[in-house]
Amino acid sequence: MPQHIKRLIGVFAVFILFFLVLQQVLKPDSFGELGHFRAKAIYENSLRPMHYTVADSCTKCHKDIRIDKDLGFHIKLKCEVCHGPALAHSLYAGNFKDKELPDSLTLYKPGERKDCAICHELNAARIKIQFDTLNTTMVHQIDVLTHHPFDPKTKVPFKCIECHNPHQP
Amino acid sequence: MEDHIQNLYEVLSKVEGYVYPNEIELNWSILIVLYPYITGLVAGAFILASLERIFKIRILKPTYGIALLTAFSFMLVATMPLVSHLGKPLRAYEIMITPHSSSAMAIFGFVYLWYLMVVLFLEIWFDYRRDMVIWANESTGIKRFLYKALSLWTTDISPKAVALDDKIGYIVTVIGVPSAFLLHGYVGFIFGSIKANPWWSTVLMPVIFLFSAMVSGIALVMLVYIVLSKIRKQLLDMDCLDTIAKYLFYILLIDFALEGLDQIHRIYVAEESFEALHKLVFGKLFYSLFIFQGLIGTIIPILTLGTLQFYKPKPQIRKVIYMILPLLVLMGIFFMRWNVVIGGQLFSKSFYGYTSFKTSMIGLEGYLMAAVWLIIPFLILAFLLWLLPPWKKIETNHD
Repeated sequence: MPQHIKRLIGVFAVFILFFLVLQQVLKPDSFGELGHFRAKAIYENSLRPMHYTVADSCTKCHKDIRIDKDLGFHIKLKCEVCHGPALAHSLYAGNFKDKELPDSLTLYKPGERKDCAICHELNAARIKIQFDTLNTTMVHQIDVLTHHPFDPKTKVPFKCIECHNPHQP
Repeated sequence: MEDHIQNLYEVLSKVEGYVYPNEIELNWSILIVLYPYITGLVAGAFILASLERIFKIRILKPTYGIALLTAFSFMLVATMPLVSHLGKPLRAYEIMITPHSSSAMAIFGFVYLWYLMVVLFLEIWFDYRRDMVIWANESTGIKRFLYKALSLWTTDISPKAVALDDKIGYIVTVIGVPSAFLLHGYVGFIFGSIKANPWWSTVLMPVIFLFSAMVSGIALVMLVYIVLSKIRKQLLDMDCLDTIAKYLFYILLIDFALEGLDQIHRIYVAEESFEALHKLVFGKLFYSLFIFQGLIGTIIPILTLGTLQFYKPKPQIRKVIYMILPLLVLMGIFFMRWNVVIGGQLFSKSFYGYTSFKTSMIGLEGYLMAAVWLIIPFLILAFLLWLLPPWKKIETNHD
């Protein structure tokens, strides 16, 4: 075999060997233990802080709201959809029964027109439903700009919750 | 307004109709458009080189070396848009060291290395080895060292050794042609195999990608050859250019027919996605598909090249045409990739809505970043042409 071919094969052999060594050095240590991925990734993800709680934990203290909600259109809506993540609140708010809650435990109380509009604003791509059907899988659509925008006497903008109970609209 | 609500309003203002929440923002941006574009240039340039080497089209000789070095320069950069798109430089390499045959993405490591090392590197090495040995003796300093190192400190340039080089080079090119087809067919396969996306999911995708790759590669080599001759103040070989133009015409025609076939198939089958795609094509993709890709990038070049096949104006006019046409074709193919990659993400899987895409100038996903990955291959090519000038090689007839 000519000398240059031998050297070329040598270079390729060194290259492949170098790659194999590099692969051993660079491969993350728990790779392949549980499958074709880094096993520690599962543990690392489990360390990330949780923010949301289970739906039932709200009703332990707020039974009255649960009853209200179950009688209306919002029966399938989870509390955290409107009030935001509530894990910390559900765990520790009980300790502040007669005291004011610290900011970190206070939940968001949506009350403005824009809050309701997130779901209820007119959207051509959503299926429209009649008001008289009690179909809880579809969302009522309202033109927020024309649907009683303000008090005709005082010209003060109306809030949706002044007429509709948000827990039982 | 609360921050997260403000953000939601902004995001929703980009959306028309109903889209699922995970479809609002495009995950694959301009860098993923570049990836098939650059690999296509590699495959196309290599196939042009193989026309001279395997199919013995001797008239293309002046572009053989340029085509090979162009393919090599772009191949070195082909993975970079992907890696920079991942945005995790500290772990982006892991895809290379943990390949798995069941992952269409991870298999790219194998395809890439095979093509870079076994095909391009070996072909260039065997083609240049004798010249590198000679140039090592003629030059001094760093250049001498580079030639010596690149030729692995070998000195054997006997006719027997050179004949062996030529034979192995030929075998490598023969392996290289199906490899080039596989390389770019694979890139099309990545898109074509995504069943959930009706804009991508077609078995014709690898073939369309392959032919558009050839079109773009040939156009690029044509352009590089003309610019290089201008810089070197050399006369252009008009016969060679006419022949390249002829091949560009044929392959552009096949590419156009294949893409037309794909669209006709879509229109005839008219699956449930058809209305959504129809609106996409005549709405958000109108300019990039019909004007840039269709009219400027395909129809005008086809008509011009077709006319040149039976009416040849003066060389001076042909030169100008050969300067402008590759630019149009390269732009057209870029928009073809754009329409595939970006177009496939603009509509919702609900078929009820569309989102928008706007490229920013700066940032990891901006078009300045994309420009960097398009300019670097030309710098590499300039270096390679300085180091391994094809015009200084000893004439060999690849017979």
